Amino acid sequence: MLEQVYNSLQFIKPELILVGTLLVSIIVDLIFKNKKVVVAFVILGLVLSFYYLTFLNSINQLIFFNMYAIDPFAYFFKIFLLVATIGIVLFSVLSKEISDLKSREGEFYYFLVALTIGMFLMTSSTNLIMMYLAIELTSLTSYMLAGFMKEEKSSSEASLKYVLYGAFSSGMMLYGISIIYGLTGSFDLLAINMAIADGVSSLALLISTVLMFVGFGYKISAVPFHFWTPDVYEGSPISVTTILSVASKAAGFSMLMRTAKIMFIDPYAAPTVNDWQIIDSVPIVEILTILSVLTMTLGNLVAIWQSNLKRLLAYSSIAHAGYLLLGVLTMNNEGYSATLIYFVTYLFMNVGAFLIVMLVSNKLNSSDIDSYKGLGMKSPFIGVMFALFLISLTGLPPTAGFVGKLYIFAALVNKKLILLAVIGVLNSVVSLYYYVRIFRNMFLRESDIETPEIKLSLAEKLLILVFAIPTIGLGLYFAPLVEFAHASVEIFSGN
Amino acid sequence: MLNLYDYIFYFFAIVILGSSFVVVFSRNIVHSAFALLFTFFGVAGFYVLLSADFLAITQLLVYVGGILVLLLFGVMLTNNIVNVEIKSGTMQTLPASLIAALIAGLLCGIFYVSNWYLVPTTPELLNNTTAVAIGYAFITTWILPFEVASVVLLVAMIGAVIIARREKAPEVE
Repeated sequence: MLEQVYNSLQFIKPELILVGTLLVSIIVDLIFKNKKVVVAFVILGLVLSFYYLTFLNSINQLIFFNMYAIDPFAYFFKIFLLVATIGIVLFSVLSKEISDLKSREGEFYYFLVALTIGMFLMTSSTNLIMMYLAIELTSLTSYMLAGFMKEEKSSSEASLKYVLYGAFSSGMMLYGISIIYGLTGSFDLLAINMAIADGVSSLALLISTVLMFVGFGYKISAVPFHFWTPDVYEGSPISVTTILSVASKAAGFSMLMRTAKIMFIDPYAAPTVNDWQIIDSVPIVEILTILSVLTMTLGNLVAIWQSNLKRLLAYSSIAHAGYLLLGVLTMNNEGYSATLIYFVTYLFMNVGAFLIVMLVSNKLNSSDIDSYKGLGMKSPFIGVMFALFLISLTGLPPTAGFVGKLYIFAALVNKKLILLAVIGVLNSVVSLYYYVRIFRNMFLRESDIETPEIKLSLAEKLLILVFAIPTIGLGLYFAPLVEFAHASVEIFSGN
Repeated sequence: MLNLYDYIFYFFAIVILGSSFVVVFSRNIVHSAFALLFTFFGVAGFYVLLSADFLAITQLLVYVGGILVLLLFGVMLTNNIVNVEIKSGTMQTLPASLIAALIAGLLCGIFYVSNWYLVPTTPELLNNTTAVAIGYAFITTWILPFEVASVVLLVAMIGAVIIARREKAPEVE
């Protein structure tokens, strides 16, 4: 038995390095007055973890007594999460909100590492207890990070709302898990899958599945579990908003996708690529469909009325969760890989958009849509870059967002879900309206008040380009990304 | 026919339900905290009935002995917490109670009609202490969750300190 523990250790080197980074940075933070040392340590740890992660690209194995899957799917998400986290650490270095924290700055960065550990565990867990612990680790650090500027009322309020909703939804999820355990006698996803296929009471299974989806829905901020999202996104420091809207959402999705695939696919049916045989006792596709349609429609419709850009982007990120769920609900390899492609494009365009909002609010102390009037003329670089990210978020060519949406809608059409594809396209049209409003303010409106020209440092410009180039680049040349995504959903551990 | 085991079960069930009603509905926070004592005690009783001796003792030590005492200290040593008007009004009573009743009915319903997974019980399983098996499981099958839990606790602890720590007033420049 100990032999297996020992053998498993070599596969979780990236996670171990992250835990080590967390512990070392806590001590480093206590010793050094200059908090940039902690930042350096954190970046070093993340890069080292990335390096060891790249050795795991073709491994497909369950470790620690079937608790933890090291497979291409988890590998894809871990790469994604590390890129996002490193990006956001660099992003935070430029943020005025974070450097104003002074002595607490170091703590902010090692909490980002703790968040990454939680998200890593979420992507790989194949056991309900592990999944719950991973969600808790991610949530606890998110609450902390959301309330990090505790002198500000909005930040504390965001944190408190997040805690209350989080506690409620993880309570529901635990209750669902307990019912599933009662029905099947196991926490292991594969064993649960076998038990479900052999037949369990379907009403109890339905209710426990719905309860578990409350937990997932909360993490990916799907309607009707989204109520915390606008307040938290508005009140938190922008770098935290960004990581919550990209990385923590990705981790939630990876967990949802893994659970849906492992728990509800008939293990006795012959394995097929394009139509997974779903066990009929749970209407999993119907649940996902309802969630998806509600999420994108409500997200887009409410976004129209927002005048604060952070809130607007919060609702738009809810809508994007809806598009992503469209990819999941097809329940086949094509849809799953479309979701992964969408995530990568979403990473660049969303972080880019938030980065610009942050830089503007650094200078103007406002995220209100009216303060963007005339911005495009006065600061053309910011104007053009923001326009690019917004076009991409709408999903127009030749940007990455178009490629993401294209693959999702193609997967829907191939699965003969035309109606859903139409709803998705209509939603994109609605989203065009509110993105264009920002546009119009930037380029076609004169500013009422004298807005100063926003001067960016070289580092800030470079960081914007880091996100802008892939946003354009992935729109024009996306073959490697598509291949990577296809390969990542090809084999799921235990299938 | 009810046997002794059932009587003990219903006794603990009534203790838990009754005391948790007091926890929720009492207007006095000290009363709520004391009622919580009986709720925790009743849950410990359930664990004993299920032959989970280690869990029962842990429940008593951690919840009754630790968390609850800490809670009471917190309540009693904090100035004004007893006198402060805590906003505890209820809104939308009718729809809320309807939904709660519906969910409760549904859950009770599925507990009656479903076929639950039953663990085969053997005399050895019922009569031996569980501490050894739990300890063994923690360092073998369940080692990963066990270690992850320690990271969760570490983060929670540091987070609590950061939230609770008083910040120096920002220096005026």
